[in-house]
Amino acid sequence: MRPRVMFRATLLMLGVTALTLAACRTTAQTPSMTAAEAIDARQKLMKEQGKAWKDIQDKTKAGQIAAIVPDAEKLASTSKQIPGLFPEGSLNPDKSLAKPEIWQKRADFDAAAKNLETWSVKLRDAAKANDAEQTQAIVKDFGRQACGTCHQPFRVPPKQQ
Amino acid sequence: MCLLVAWRAPVAAQVTPPSAAEVARGRYMFGATGGCGCHTPPKGQPNAGGRRYDGPYGTVFSSNITPDRQTGVGGWTDEQIITAIRLGRRPNGERLLPVHPYPVFNGMAEEDLRAIVAFLRTTSPVTKANQPKKLIPMFESVFLPAWLAAFAPRETPPPKAPTAGVPRGEYLIRAVAHCGECHTPRTMTMATDNSRFLAGNPKGPEDQAMPNITPDPETGIGKWSVEEIADYLGSGNKPDGDVAGGLMGEVIEGTLAGYKDLTPADRTAIAQYLKTIPPIRNKIGKPVK
Ligand code: HEC
Ligand code: HEC
Repeated sequence: MRPRVMFRATLLMLGVTALTLAACRTTAQTPSMTAAEAIDARQKLMKEQGKAWKDIQDKTKAGQIAAIVPDAEKLASTSKQIPGLFPEGSLNPDKSLAKPEIWQKRADFDAAAKNLETWSVKLRDAAKANDAEQTQAIVKDFGRQACGTCHQPFRVPPKQQ
Repeated sequence: MCLLVAWRAPVAAQVTPPSAAEVARGRYMFGATGGCGCHTPPKGQPNAGGRRYDGPYGTVFSSNITPDRQTGVGGWTDEQIITAIRLGRRPNGERLLPVHPYPVFNGMAEEDLRAIVAFLRTTSPVTKANQPKKLIPMFESVFLPAWLAAFAPRETPPPKAPTAGVPRGEYLIRAVAHCGECHTPRTMTMATDNSRFLAGNPKGPEDQAMPNITPDPETGIGKWSVEEIADYLGSGNKPDGDVAGGLMGEVIEGTLAGYKDLTPADRTAIAQYLKTIPPIRNKIGKPVK
C-alpha cells in the first residue's frame, strides 16, 4: 500500500517539475521578442540563407554534389524559424523590407516558409544520394520556386548596395 | 492523322491556321514581354484581366485578352488585336491608356506581333467582363491626345526583328520586354525620361522601388558580369545569394511564359546591350511613402 502511494506522489512531483521546466523553456525560447529584435533576427537569418543558397549554386556548378548536403539541411532548418520571426506588430518600412501582406495573408506566408522546407528536404535527399542530374534539376528551379515565391508577394525591392 | 487533316481541311479553308512553329514562337515572344502579367491578377486566371491600376488619370483595370468571343478578344481580327497592342486603339476607336505600353510595343516587328496573336488565339478563353475605367474629367478627350503627341517617346518598328547580339538585346529591351516601363525614371509629366534610360525609379509601378540597372558601378549593376545578368533573368538568382522578388520576380516567372523561358542566347544579348548603355549615378533608396 504505502510504496504505491509514494510512487504516485513521486510521479506527480515529477510531472509537475517537468511541466514547470517545459513552461520555463518555452518562455525562455520566445521571450516576447521586441519588433526591433525580430527584424534584426530575421534579416540575419535571411542573410545566412543567402549564403547557403550561393554556396549551393557554386558547388553544384563545380560538380561537388554531396558537399551541398549541409547547406540544404541548413535551409530546411532555417525555413522552420521564418514564421516565428515575423510577429504581429513588426512591420516597419524604415528598417525592414517586409510587406504588410505578410500579416494580411498570414496562412499564405506560413505556407511559403513550409514550401521552402519541402524544397530543401528534396534537395538534400537528391544530394545525399549523390544524384547529380536530379540535384542540378532542383537547383535550376530552386531560387524561383523556393525563395522567389515568398519574396515576390511579401518583400519590397531591396536597396541597392 | 492524314485522315484528320483531310477531314479538317474544308472547315479551315477560309484562313490558313498558323503552324505549330508559329504558335510556339508566339508563346516565346509572349514570354519575352514578361508574360503580359498586368493582364493576370495575382493567382488569377491567365490573361483574364481585372488587375487595378491607379494613377493621376484615375483608375483603370487591365482587359481580358483571352480568346473569349463575348468578353475577350476572340471576336477581333488579327489586325484589330495588333492595332490595340501597338497603337493603343480598340476596334471601336476608343483610346487605351498608355498603362498598356503601346508606345513601347510599337517597336515590335510585325512578324513577332503576328506570332503573339496566333499564340493568344490558342489560350483558354475565360468569360469575364472588363471593369469600366474611372478617369478624371477631360482626361481622354484633351489630356491624353496632347500628352501622347508631346511627351510619349515612341519606338519605331524594324522591318525585321534582329536575331543576334547587341542589336537583338536592344530590340528585346526597348520594344518587347519593356524593361524601361519599370526601370526608367519618369518626368513631371509621367512620361519615361529616356535621357536617363533604366536609371531606376524610387516609386515605380505599384509603388515599388525599381533599381537602377545602368552600368554605374556604385548605384547601378556595373559590378555584375554579363553572365550574372543573364543568369538572373533566367533564374532570379542574384550574385550575392539573394533571389528576385516583387514585380521582377513576376516578369521572370511570367504567366503562361516569362523571361525565364528566354534562350541563354537572348538573355546574354540583353545583358550585353545593358553593358553598352550610359552609366547613370542614381541611388534608389527605400520606397518613398
Ligand atoms: C516565407 C517567406 C520567405 C522565404 C521562403 C524566403 N525569404 Fe528571404 N526574405 C523574406 C522577407 C520578408 C525578407 C525581408 C525581411 C526584412 O527586411 O524584414 C527577406 C529578405 C531576404 C534577404 C535580404 C536580407 C537582408 O536584410 O540583407 C536575403 C538575402 C534573402 N531573403 C534570401 C533568401 C533566400 C536565399 C531564400 C531561399 C533559400 C529566401 N530568402 C526565402 C521572406 C522570405
Ligand atoms: C514590371 C516591372 C519590371 C520590368 C518589366 C523589369 N523589371 Fe527588372 N526589376 C524590377 C523590380 C521591382 C526589381 C527589384 C527586384 C526585387 O525586389 O528583388 C528589379 C530588379 C532587376 C535587376 C536586379 C537589380 C539589383 O540591383 O538587384 C536587374 C538586373 C533587372 N531588374 C533587369 C531587368 C531587365 C533587363 C528587364 C527587361 C528585360 C527588366 N528588369 C524588366 C521591375 C521590373
